[in-house]
Amino acid sequence: MENNNEQRESVTPTKNNLSVPIAIVIAGALIAGAVYLSASKTALSPTAGNNQAAGRELQQGNTVSLDQMAPITNKDHIRSNPDAPVKIVEYSDFECPFCKRFHSTMQQVIEEYDGKVAWVYRHFPLDQLHPVKARAEAVAAECAGELGGNDAFWKYSDRFFELTPSNNQTDIDTVLPQIAREIGLDVSKFNSCLASGKYDKHVQDDLDNATATGGNGTPWSIVVAANGKKYPLSGAQPYASVKQLIELALLEK
Amino acid sequence: MFIQALQKVFRKPQYIFLASIASVSVFVFAVWLPNLSLIVAVMGHSGVSFSQKLDLPISLLGSIVTNFTLLSALYTIAIAIFFGINLAMMVYFLRRKTEEARHGGFSVGFLGLLSGFFGMGCAACGSLLLGSGLSLVGASGVLALLPLAGGEFGILGVMLLGTSLYLTAKQIQNPAVCKIDA
Repeated sequence: MENNNEQRESVTPTKNNLSVPIAIVIAGALIAGAVYLSASKTALSPTAGNNQAAGRELQQGNTVSLDQMAPITNKDHIRSNPDAPVKIVEYSDFECPFCKRFHSTMQQVIEEYDGKVAWVYRHFPLDQLHPVKARAEAVAAECAGELGGNDAFWKYSDRFFELTPSNNQTDIDTVLPQIAREIGLDVSKFNSCLASGKYDKHVQDDLDNATATGGNGTPWSIVVAANGKKYPLSGAQPYASVKQLIELALLEK
Repeated sequence: MFIQALQKVFRKPQYIFLASIASVSVFVFAVWLPNLSLIVAVMGHSGVSFSQKLDLPISLLGSIVTNFTLLSALYTIAIAIFFGINLAMMVYFLRRKTEEARHGGFSVGFLGLLSGFFGMGCAACGSLLLGSGLSLVGASGVLALLPLAGGEFGILGVMLLGTSLYLTAKQIQNPAVCKIDA
């Protein structure tokens, strides 16, 4: 009986249908192209030894690369030991739920690797997903830093992620001054700073630098080893993955 | 009809194996996608032991919990499973030299997978694949117009793969034959 069925099934129709190979080729090409686009943007950074060659290539081709990362300076917001052998530069969006999650992961990292890992916070507000609010919140964190120093910047950021639900649900007119008050800042000065627009360019520079290094979503992080080698980490990856990368970076002398 | 077709295909262990391998591959690829360049670099790193090389990609699988919303995790898993089943059923058909693709089942399946990949990229803030592609044409703002910020592509992928499964199952139960005009 089954043989009869298989005989019937094996009758080959003569119509030559090209839809299958065309669909496969188009799908394959699109997936490969998309993967290539996203992967090629984040070419791994060379070590300090061949940075010059990479720099020349960047100037000629303007390729997106981790080497485009702005140098870490004392103008950055750095948590833990600024001279730590491993630094994690995080480009983050205050309205992104994955950044909120990754903020806790990074707090855990700093607790466990106190002195060995420094956390550098930079802004990457995604206007397409979080118009107006993400930028305003980034500016607010900078104003907190101006009025209360580095500690106030981190207190503000910690409290913001703790308090707010992400995805544009925060009433920034109420919540931003409220957090400023909670952490002991002068609210009138804070509001003046917010209205001044003085940190708009700084936030934009951070954003531009995030995209120049290959970031196309948040959180976007770059783990920097003592010898300058850089590893990209995209998304809110689990603590175990961040730990693996840190251990790897600690091996680089 | 659908269940009967599944029984027909998966009573042979090799098709279960094929579907499992395909599903796991799609799932792993989707979860690793944002960090493929990192994985490649770590795998090629000469100063790292083999076990250390394996630790990172294995730990990255945990991002299905940390880097996906509940919705995006669900449709990513659904797409992986549907694709595995689809592939096994297609191979079953191809081995019987029938013209299954005439009715579009195969094409719909691949379109579903493609759409699903765009949706997977949208899991994190700022679509990975969709964002990359759209930014080339300056249209990344379209994400803001979508209520699920790109998750729609994942749902569309599940629907297309489901349609493909249905079409394939239908053909398995009603194979192409030369009909005799009455």
